[in-house]
This record gives sequence, structure tokens and C-alpha cells, in this order.
Amino acid sequence: MGRILLENVTKSFGDAQVIPPLDLVIDDGEFTVFVGPSGCGKSTLLRLIAGLEETSSGTITIDGLDVTQVPPSKRGLAMVFQSYALYPHMTVRKNIAFPMRMAGLSQAEQDKRVMTAAKSLNLVDYLDRKPGQLSGGQRQRVAIGRAIVRDPTAFLFDEPLSNLDAALRVGMRLEISEMHKRMQTTMIYVTHDQVEAMTMADKIVVLQAGVIEQVGSPLELYRSPCNLFVAGFIGSPKMNFITGTEAANRHAHTLGVRPEHIAVSTQTGAWTGRVSVSEHLGSDTFLHVHETGLADTLTVRTNGEISFKHGDIIHLTPREEMVHRFDAAGLRIS
Amino acid sequence: MSNRTLPRLLQTPAVLLLLIWMLIPLSMTLYFSFIRYVLNSLRRPEWTKPSISNWRGFGNYEFVLNNKDFILAIQNSLLIVCSILFFTVIFGILIAVLINKSFPGRGVVRVLLISPFFVMPAVNAVLWINMILDPVLGLQGLAVGGLNDAIEGLRNAPLVGGFFSLWPDFAPISFRATQTSAIAVIIMVTWQWTPFAVLIFMTSLQSEDQQQKEAAILDGAGAWSQFRFLTLPHLSRPIAIVVMIQAIFHLSLYAEIEIVSRGNGNKNLPYLIGEFANNNIGAASATGIFAVILANIVAFFLLRMIGKTLME
Repeated sequence: MGRILLENVTKSFGDAQVIPPLDLVIDDGEFTVFVGPSGCGKSTLLRLIAGLEETSSGTITIDGLDVTQVPPSKRGLAMVFQSYALYPHMTVRKNIAFPMRMAGLSQAEQDKRVMTAAKSLNLVDYLDRKPGQLSGGQRQRVAIGRAIVRDPTAFLFDEPLSNLDAALRVGMRLEISEMHKRMQTTMIYVTHDQVEAMTMADKIVVLQAGVIEQVGSPLELYRSPCNLFVAGFIGSPKMNFITGTEAANRHAHTLGVRPEHIAVSTQTGAWTGRVSVSEHLGSDTFLHVHETGLADTLTVRTNGEISFKHGDIIHLTPREEMVHRFDAAGLRIS
Repeated sequence: MSNRTLPRLLQTPAVLLLLIWMLIPLSMTLYFSFIRYVLNSLRRPEWTKPSISNWRGFGNYEFVLNNKDFILAIQNSLLIVCSILFFTVIFGILIAVLINKSFPGRGVVRVLLISPFFVMPAVNAVLWINMILDPVLGLQGLAVGGLNDAIEGLRNAPLVGGFFSLWPDFAPISFRATQTSAIAVIIMVTWQWTPFAVLIFMTSLQSEDQQQKEAAILDGAGAWSQFRFLTLPHLSRPIAIVVMIQAIFHLSLYAEIEIVSRGNGNKNLPYLIGEFANNNIGAASATGIFAVILANIVAFFLLRMIGKTLME
């Protein structure tokens, strides 16, 4: 079990309210990702759930139990930190066993669980090393191992992959996803990387300045972002925003068109512009188009075979059914 | 000239200077420790000049070993150094952990805490032995007197009077006596050097990883477990530094010993060397060599002990 409920939760540091009243439901077994730009309060929210910060008001409920005043160690949650927070003076074995040692489990039980965790995380050969002798990915796995052995009701991840290099990040992303599929435990994952959010989450919570902008599955957020912020944050490269007459023609204040929903032609099209930079990724080409009269730059995503040079004239046609419309307040018009 | 010769040539003066700086005093001490060499002798004026013809072999060492004060001096050196190390490290850790939490006026408290370290050793000793530890004029005498007066008053009180009439009169302790002068030295040097330990531990505590502590909190570690399994291992290197530096300094304590008791029943090795050096340079040198050996043994064992107990 691991259903977490936040009701009217607020957090203030002194006079500054970093989290205005907030409600959120995280269902049992769900992989929930908190995503948002840095300083949006996502880590604070996670720390409130963990109990590392006290809530200023409101209640946090785990499996029907009000844990707002319960100390962190009694909430049955395990957390993986950005810096891994391994105990540097202990071997990997002792690191993983530490929560069980604190709980007073028998040595035999500790050894058994450490072995199980080490096997599932490929750490058996490293059990007698110190964290300083491990690579970043191995340290990350030790931190996860230390969380697993506690058999928690929910896992909390605080930007766990941001200290890893790009290749390793992709690998660990898969491992964590697989772990979730296998264990079916509630996981809350904080990241500023929308790719991580899109690929891993069952449910994404987009935050800005402590406020939940939208909650939904990755594709829901991609297909129907409820406001400009979510539209701009989810998806890579960023959605193009167009204001002015073009938007007014479609009875909107702002139009949002994703780079992948614009067709390119050398002869005809709805819009015309001049290519400034084309970025070739092999599989795709990102074209940055200027002088369209619509926005400073339009980003267009086309297939990797297309080649335009700097200064080429280009014709663009948006896929009408994929154009998002927003009103003056930035909210979606459906 | 190969491209490594020039840097070496340029380094040579510094290296030579350091070598001379170390080797000349050490070899002179060694040399003097094997010859008869006194500052003043009417009977054997030839001994007043250091000369190889006055060779005495291990005679000086034998003389020192047979001196009635030698074993006492070694015991005393060890007692004083180990006690000071023990107390300064314990107090240092406690105070450093205490003032690591933020509270109003922390800056002032820190400066005040460091200030004993800036008192000169001789001044420190004079202040303690005369103004604090003196059985008549010092704070100690006043405190014991006040305690006795309080008990005296309580003897006539109802209910508890019977209990207090069983208490004896307390007598102030004379810290200049043979048996207690080492304790006086330990007290005053501990007071002076605890700030050093606090300073080192405080800076180290500030570099402690807060996420590790949070992880430990989530893992169910209480305040004691956090201290035992995170803070103490984190402090093991600074503790080793404090122990090493202080061992070096306190093996050569002199001013405090001189001022408290003039070495009466409370000599340590440097003080014994000083006494020999009044005339018998040979014996003083031999004692000096013993001191070098002792210092190395102490450093070796202390560092191994700390390494074993704190590193998990």
C-alpha cells in the first residue's frame, strides 16, 4: 500500500510562502513525477512528504493515516538523494544495512536482505568497498539498495540522476522504471528534466512557484496542456508560441504549435521564413526559422535527410488539428 | 644541462637548509650524549670542552636511567600528555557540537571560546595557580569556604539538618603539593588548549554533509546514532590532527611545570633535561634522545588507536 494524500498543504519560510495551499492525490503503486523549473518548490514538496520539512498548515495522509506530525523515520518512506548521501566511512554492505541496523533487525535477516538487494542491483562484487571507491552509477545503486531493504510504502527520489553523465542517466532511468514495474510500489520522483518526466511517469505533476499547474499522464500533458506554462515546459524542443493577427484569425490570443507539427516545403505553405540555423541530429533536423512575421524564431522539427542552408527561404504549414489555442490569460481554449 | 637539473639546483639551498636545520641539532645532541661534557668542573677542567677524547659510551644513558627522577619524569610526561589529550578532545567535541547549532550571539560566543588560546602559557599558569587553584586566596579556597559555610548553616535547619550534620568539613586542595601539582598542570593546559580542539572540530563540523544526516534521519537514526555513525567518523581526521599537534606540544611542557611546583615531584622529561643542563650537558643530551624516542612511540600508538576505533 502507499496512497499519499496532501490536503491544503502550505509551507512558508519566514514571511515567504513557497507553497500556497495545495491538494494532491498520489495513488498506490503510481509512479508520480514532480517536474518544474528550479526553485519551483518541487523538492520542498518532496521534503514535506518525507517529513524533513514541517508543514506550515494542512495535512499529509499516507494510507489513511495522518502523518503530518509523525517524524520522518516513522512514515515508512525511503528517499534517494541527489548527492546519494551515502555514509562515506561505511562499506557498501554497512551502508545498505544501516536502516535495518537502526531498526534492530537480526544480523541474519540483515545479511539476507543486503544480499537480495545487492544481487538485484549488481552490487555483489562491491559490498566491501567504500562509497569513495565506486563510480557515480554504482553509488546511485547503493543509495537505491539502501532504500529497497527498508521495504518502504513509497520511494522518494530527489533528482537522483542529475549528477550522472548522459549515457548513464539513460541507463539508470530504465533501471528505475523496471524496478517500479517489478515492485509496484508508489514512487515519487522529482526532476527538472522533462524528458525524465515524460519517459518514466505514470502521472506528471507540473509545478511553478509552488503551484500545481497541471496533473496528468505524460501524453495528456503533451496533447492538451492546460496553459502556456505547461505547453512550454513539456516537449522538446519547446513549443512555438505565436501571437498577433495569425492568432486572432483563429480566435485566440496565443497559438501554440509544436516543432514536430509543422510541415516543411520549398514551394508553398501557410507561412514563409528564412532558415538561420539547422541542427542535424542524424535522426532529426531542427530548423530555426526567422523572418516569419509570427514570432522571433520558429523551431521546426523535420526528418534527418532534409538539408537547408543558412538564408534559405522556407514555407511552413502547421497541422491544424495539432494547433493549441490559448486565451489572454494563458489558459487553453478547447 | 638536462631540464631536470636546473629545478633541482634551485631547490638545493632550501633542502640543504632544512637538512642542516634538522640534522645539526640532532647530531650534536647525539654526540654530546656519548661524551663527558659539563659546563663547570674544578676537579676535571678537561670535561668542560666537548671533545671526542672524553668519550663515555653509554655512560650518560646509564647515569640517566639510574637517576631517581627519570622514571617519574617519563610517567609524568605520559600522564600529563594523555590526560590533556583525553580531556581536550572530549571537551572539544562536546563544545564544537554544541555551538554548531545556530543561536543568537553565536559569533561572540565563538570568539570568547577561542580566547584562552591567546593567553601566554606562563601567564596562564600564574593566573590559574594563584587566582583560581590557590587553597587560600584563589577561587577554590573561596568556593570550598562558601560550601562549608552553607553546610554549616544547613546543619541547624529543620528536617534536613540531621542529614547535613553527617557531612564533613571540606578542606581545599593544595595544588602545589607533590601529589597534586600534575593535576594542576593538566587542568590549566586543558583549559588553554580546548579552544584549539574546538576550533578544528568546529570547522570540520561545518563541512559535514547535511544530506547524509537527512538520509540517516529517514533511516531511523536518532541523535546519538547520527553522532556515533556520522559525526564521529567525520571528525576522525581532525581528531588525529588535534592529537598529533597537541602530543608534540605537550611533551615539551615547561613553563607550567616550573611555575606550579618548580618540578617538585612533578618533573616531566623537558624539565629533567633542564635540570641536567644546569651543568651536565652529556646527561641532558642523553635524556633528550630518550625524549625523542618517547615522542615517536607516543605518536605511533596514539595514531594507530584513533585510526582503529573511529574508522569503520
